[in-house]
Amino acid sequence: MDGDVGRGQGLSVILARRAGAPQGARPADPRRRTFWALALPPALGLTLFLVAPLLFMAALSFRTDLSGTLLAPFAPTLKHYAQLAATTPFLRSLGLSALTALGVAATATALAYPLAYYLAFRAGRRAAFYLVLLLVPFWTSYLLRVMAWKLMLGGEGVVNSLLMSAGIVEEPIAALLYNRAAVIVTLVYVWIPFAALPILAALGRVDVRLHEAAADLYATPFQQFRRVTLPLSLPGVIAAFLMVFIPTVGEYVTPLLVGGTSGTMYGNIIQDFFTRAANWPYGSALAMVMLVGTLGLVAVGLRLVNPRRLLER
Amino acid sequence: MTATARPTAARLVATRGPRRRWLGSYFWLLIGALYLPISILFVFSINANTTLAFPLKGFTLDWYEQLFDTPALLRAVRNSLGVAVWSSLAATALGAMVAILLSRFDFRGKGALTGLAIMPLIVPYVVLGVALLVLFKAAGVPLSLVTVGIAHVIVALPYTTLIVLARLVGFDAQLEEAAMDLGASYPTTLRLVVLPIAAPALLSAWVTAFTVSFDEFALALFLAGRDPTFPVYLYGQLRFATTLPVLIATAVLLMLSTLTLILVTERIRRR
Amino acid sequence: MHSWRSRSVMRGSIGLVVVSLIVVACGGGASTVPSTAPTGGTTPAPTVAATEVPPDELTGSLSVLDWSGYDAEDFWADFDGTYPKVDVAFEFGISDADIYGKIKGGSSADIFHPYTGWLQFYVDEGLVAEIDTSKLTNWAAVPDSFKAVGQFDGKQYFIPWDWGFTSVLYRTDKVSGMIDTWSALLDPTYDGHISMWDDGPAAVTVSSYIHGYDETAVTDVELADIKQEWIDQAPLNIAYWAAESDLVPLMQSGDAWVAYAWQGAYATLLGEGVPVAYANPKEGRNSWVGAYGISAGSPNYDLALRFLDEKLGELTGNSLVNLYYYGSANGNVMASITDATLKEAFSIDNPDILEATNFTPNLTADQRDAWTAMWAEVKASQ
Repeated sequence: MDGDVGRGQGLSVILARRAGAPQGARPADPRRRTFWALALPPALGLTLFLVAPLLFMAALSFRTDLSGTLLAPFAPTLKHYAQLAATTPFLRSLGLSALTALGVAATATALAYPLAYYLAFRAGRRAAFYLVLLLVPFWTSYLLRVMAWKLMLGGEGVVNSLLMSAGIVEEPIAALLYNRAAVIVTLVYVWIPFAALPILAALGRVDVRLHEAAADLYATPFQQFRRVTLPLSLPGVIAAFLMVFIPTVGEYVTPLLVGGTSGTMYGNIIQDFFTRAANWPYGSALAMVMLVGTLGLVAVGLRLVNPRRLLER
Repeated sequence: MTATARPTAARLVATRGPRRRWLGSYFWLLIGALYLPISILFVFSINANTTLAFPLKGFTLDWYEQLFDTPALLRAVRNSLGVAVWSSLAATALGAMVAILLSRFDFRGKGALTGLAIMPLIVPYVVLGVALLVLFKAAGVPLSLVTVGIAHVIVALPYTTLIVLARLVGFDAQLEEAAMDLGASYPTTLRLVVLPIAAPALLSAWVTAFTVSFDEFALALFLAGRDPTFPVYLYGQLRFATTLPVLIATAVLLMLSTLTLILVTERIRRR
Repeated sequence: MHSWRSRSVMRGSIGLVVVSLIVVACGGGASTVPSTAPTGGTTPAPTVAATEVPPDELTGSLSVLDWSGYDAEDFWADFDGTYPKVDVAFEFGISDADIYGKIKGGSSADIFHPYTGWLQFYVDEGLVAEIDTSKLTNWAAVPDSFKAVGQFDGKQYFIPWDWGFTSVLYRTDKVSGMIDTWSALLDPTYDGHISMWDDGPAAVTVSSYIHGYDETAVTDVELADIKQEWIDQAPLNIAYWAAESDLVPLMQSGDAWVAYAWQGAYATLLGEGVPVAYANPKEGRNSWVGAYGISAGSPNYDLALRFLDEKLGELTGNSLVNLYYYGSANGNVMASITDATLKEAFSIDNPDILEATNFTPNLTADQRDAWTAMWAEVKASQ
């Protein structure tokens, strides 16, 4: 067994060592040209179309207001950040949105795992087909699908009509729609198929023969899952969690459609400052705080889970 | 080991009988939940109702007829398909590149690249849209479906990267080492060893990127110029109560065509 | 890995991708190729030659930044008929703030469509060109009070086009008695069945009507009171509405009984047979006007002026009234309305209605920022 890999050293080190680089010195990776061929397109694209816009928005957050030419130099001010710090409802909303996002991500990932497991080990050759089948509904306009849901869950909708005609309730249940719970349920429902994807990709690494070996050693199905499958699929679980958590902090469409007045999230506030108030500087400040806060949370979280060990295994 | 029979697939199945049924039912339950609103839309698309309200007013195929008579609608759908196909291909390619870089190479900017690739997830679309609008205008780039496509590649990149990365991470580099030991250059190794391994993840990534682009509204609204994509067109038409049934018919038709397409693909594959 | 059968997956996926590419390619290149025709940005229309060319031969291109839906040909039918060879392209905005932002952000639109309350900003920032009304053939059909809406410092910067009322809309079968005051929107009697428009300045307006504040000079103390009032009101709503297409299903389904509404929703619901009434509050209804302006520095000024002129035409005005239930600034169009539902919606048979109506004043930038921030806090406090 090649002990180098187990000690957490990457492919580049192994290759360089084999090419004869001296021990101890920082080895040169012989795949230099491929590296740059792979690195340049994404780096260029991201710099031009992500970093530049972000820098612009960060700069905008220090601008007093929108008057004057947008790209002209201006005297920076901290007034928007100060105002944000002084506005408790906004900070509370950010906290609540982050908590909501944590809950949605955890639930969606947990509910997505059995789905990914089924596709990886039970669906056989139909897995790809089933996968696409799961995602195809998302090509229908979200607006229209939610309209259909609202038809079912509204005060005089199908669900309530059925419950009332069956005598189970006397008055329509208002709690199905237009509140925070409706937002959470809808978000989880929408994210499950997507969260399954990275988990599925990671489960693909699990060799079925490992399951056989575990069975040979008289492991129960649960033990086999806990000690073989789950650890190997962990990178996928983490990827899924991040994939759901990060965008949900800034989510605004679902709260707008089904949240009513009590389901407003931080993303709605940012959205409003751009599309209702034309207050781009303040909106940018709010967005920057969310960005830094979320990335900070993710950095802390990843440090706890120690991905270095996972990435170099 | 020779005393006991090698475990066969049947025996494996037997040890997990009840769980197998449970997993399958779970999958189909979810499929049912996902397709339920679409079934409702389907029902309304073949009924004479002009609003989404019961009772049903009688069977009609008028809405589908009208659909084909509305050139602006058909153009919008074509625009969306075009943008989605190209941006999803680009996003998958770029995402795969980043995933390979992160899982197979050691370099100093690793953390930065990871952060950058994930960052579009946290940037609100309205922020990105406004910034790209101002920057494109300043650079004299005319707004068009290309500008929308670029934005879609950026926002789909985190998804494609994460999915392919989850597949490649920890996948023993031994196979690649072996290939290179046998004299293959790294590009050849990538092509013949890594890509086939990553193929299922690439498919997932592509479908995800397509999904992200096809129903995307906020960025398309800012960056589309004179050619609206379908979500933008839809949102505009929703102001007119009378156009709702035709829009629903369009959505249902798209859905049915796609389902047919993948069913046919599956049939072909099974042969 | 084994259950994926990598090779067949690859074949299947390549097949899918190829089919998609074929579908897209066969769909016609025009829609996927970026439009090379400049959207009115770089080709200056020769103003001297234009006056000598007959209208149906005139060529050129115009770019209009408008609200979604107004790109339908019904809404510029007169222009399309008179100048069939001019290419008109539309960009969309979803709100006044969005349109203002896009114009500020450097949009190359020649023409744009803001509403009362937001007009002052364009004038202050030099974003709008003065309009030469002597060239507008339909100008005489516009009542003076509407002309005044687009005038600043004695100069005409905008031409009014569409207008309407805002009042309290309510279900007569769910609400007992008649509603005659704006405070119905804050009345706990209708707990869970109110729907307010998701807009800060609108909330300030309603509170000003109820408490008699001066809308143009709301003090900080008054603003704080207004904020608290709407924080308390928020739980009484079933949901806020952002566009009339949100409000109509809410009222039709009976989820909302009382709402802040424009008369478009009123007319739509009447047409669907829903029992609704449109209040005449004792504080007076509100009225708003939509106006078109020409971007400062537009190279197609002359063509844009013709577009604005034709916008005031009767075909266009009739489409606006009949398809959208909004009022037209063309007095002749309003005078010729015969439909009973529309007459009811516009209170045409009530000659005193405009006297009792409060027109939306223009906001200052400070007011806009303060009132929208106030509303954001109201929403975040729930």
